Amino acid sequence: MLSQKEVERLHYGLRSHIELQNDIEVQALNDLSSKFILRTIRTGESLWDLNSATGDLHFILDGTFTEYLKRGTKSFILRFYRPGKFAFSEDLLLYSKNSDTYSKALSEARVASLPSVHFQNALRQGGVGVKLMEVLINLSMTEYRNSTYHMLQTSGTNRIHAALEQFPDLLHLIPRRELADYLGISRASLFRSLKEIGHE
Amino acid sequence: MNSGEKAAMRNYFESLPVYSEFFDEAIDAVISAMDSTIRAEKGRVLNELGAKNRDFWFLKDGYLKEMYRSPYAKEDGLFNMIPPSSIFVNEDTLFANQRPLHYFTAYTSVEILRLSEENYSRLLREYPIINLLYISGTAEIQKSRRARLNMLRMNKTPERIEWVQQQRRELFQIMDRITLAQYIGVSRASLYRAFEKNNKYQY
Repeated sequence: MLSQKEVERLHYGLRSHIELQNDIEVQALNDLSSKFILRTIRTGESLWDLNSATGDLHFILDGTFTEYLKRGTKSFILRFYRPGKFAFSEDLLLYSKNSDTYSKALSEARVASLPSVHFQNALRQGGVGVKLMEVLINLSMTEYRNSTYHMLQTSGTNRIHAALEQFPDLLHLIPRRELADYLGISRASLFRSLKEIGHE
Repeated sequence: MNSGEKAAMRNYFESLPVYSEFFDEAIDAVISAMDSTIRAEKGRVLNELGAKNRDFWFLKDGYLKEMYRSPYAKEDGLFNMIPPSSIFVNEDTLFANQRPLHYFTAYTSVEILRLSEENYSRLLREYPIINLLYISGTAEIQKSRRARLNMLRMNKTPERIEWVQQQRRELFQIMDRITLAQYIGVSRASLYRAFEKNNKYQY
């Protein structure tokens, strides 16, 4: 059960992304908000994993998550999810296929989750459900665009600057080894660049 | 619009995962609402997509460079290459009502077609299912960005080159080395070293 404060935060989060045009849509969004379920997730636990059968839509109330992409035997950080943001497996939620990614909590987190069945029902009904789908795709597109910006920087220092612009507390989120992988640079280059910009 | 242009657009819509014959009438309406062809020579910036432009554009022929202004580099950077039969827009203006961070230049001579915002809004009222085509189109862009981002996270330059060779074959053939280096996020020196090391060259 969500507390009144959490319901308000969730509702505000949804409203900040979805442009509502009439009272019917306001009511539909209210109905949808009431279907979210509160979950507490401990550090290191999964929000979803490679074997998850259904894709729920999560709204992060507290805590931070990383989404990893599994490629061969190695996993890469794809993106981070912070409070006030939606988190979801695109493969499961949008394309109803097995997820190539999994997500883990970097710190203890509180999450409001909309079970897949309610998301799919809202989508079938059109209106707010379709708008939500549009929003989720646009958010992903923008996140990937921002991450692409920093990955296109050929100097390690510029790459860190660009990544910090997207995630200001990135240096405190993950260990240096993972950070180097995330930025696609060697650890030596990471430490050199951090020293250069006065972070080590 | 001539029959070739119509066929190119129809092929685009039919390639979307959501497509079925159910969409045909709406697709015909969209194709009929497209403006006549705009041509741009190699190197020209597409000023048609000014700061407030919220139209939808279809690249019929040629290749476009999607450029962005990087605050970290002296020169504007290559964000993406757009191949023929693609839809492109000012996404900052369209999605977020903000000044565009990107602009487009013709990498080769190009031909583009326009669906004006007014026509799109009118068609959406007449054929609400067009929204599904819109969502499917943006989802394809999203998937493509994710795939490219995953390539950019590969540690080794030869792996990135191989990805372009396999996943973006058409672009691999058309891009010069400077553009290829920018596309895969490495320096030119690193690209040349990778070619020499593996004794494999682009052409």
